[in-house]
Amino acid sequence: MTPPSGGTPATEAALVARAQAGDVGAFEQLSGAYADRLYMLLLRLLGDRDEAGDVAQEVMLRAWQGIGRFQGRSSYFTWLYRIAVNEANRALEKRARQPAGVSLGPEELQLPAPPADDPSRQAEVSELRLALGQALAELPPALRAAIVLRDVEGLSTQEAAEIAGVSQAAFKSRLHQARLRVRAAIGDEALVTAGG
Amino acid sequence: MGVPGRADDHRWSQQHLSHYVDADLRPRARRRLDRHARDCVDCGRGIRAMRALVYSVQALDGLAGVRAPATIFDRVRAAGASGSPSPRGA
Repeated sequence: MTPPSGGTPATEAALVARAQAGDVGAFEQLSGAYADRLYMLLLRLLGDRDEAGDVAQEVMLRAWQGIGRFQGRSSYFTWLYRIAVNEANRALEKRARQPAGVSLGPEELQLPAPPADDPSRQAEVSELRLALGQALAELPPALRAAIVLRDVEGLSTQEAAEIAGVSQAAFKSRLHQARLRVRAAIGDEALVTAGG
Repeated sequence: MGVPGRADDHRWSQQHLSHYVDADLRPRARRRLDRHARDCVDCGRGIRAMRALVYSVQALDGLAGVRAPATIFDRVRAAGASGSPSPRGA
């Protein structure tokens, strides 16, 4: 999956310039191109629609307040996603300080429906869905972000590392740790049987 | 359960399964892991499990049709309406 396009580079650069000059409409046009995908990312990281919606508003506000500092060294998409991951981590840390956590459910993860024609296969895939949701929910935020950015969002290692704010080597290490933890939580047999 | 004579191969292979399934190893390193996994049940299973895991997680990408809430720019608009300073100076 490639990052969504906010228009041609020239159009995007013009919108950035107008937004930096204080044009809210230009900012909405610029960021609106990524709004749906950004919301999906937050939904995957947070697992809760209300919280994802709230954090999405905060991400847009922070992007608006900070757009004067955007210098175009990365793409606008990468810059916006980085704010989103930081805000999601902040929300997860806040949640961790509260007594009850919210786990990612199949609805939030939007797992594909299991095949309806084979009951035993359906049961295996359903079980894998639940186990996967639980395992991802239990990952520390940085590891969860790694697996979501790379494996779910399909971003390149370079892009995902930039969004996570770490070197590519550090990102690969996080991704490996995340996958190992999920693998250990689910078990090789269940993975290969239902997911293979 | 390493290959005799290559005692470090098993540990090294286990540490690089993720890179292997991402095709992120140099040819020589990939051949090293291939060679080891041919004789190592653990690493052979590890490759299959890691591939299945990546496939399963990739299959989570089914959010077509999900839209951001219409309220997503509400705080930006409120900040603009309240006469916040130009973002250039933020």
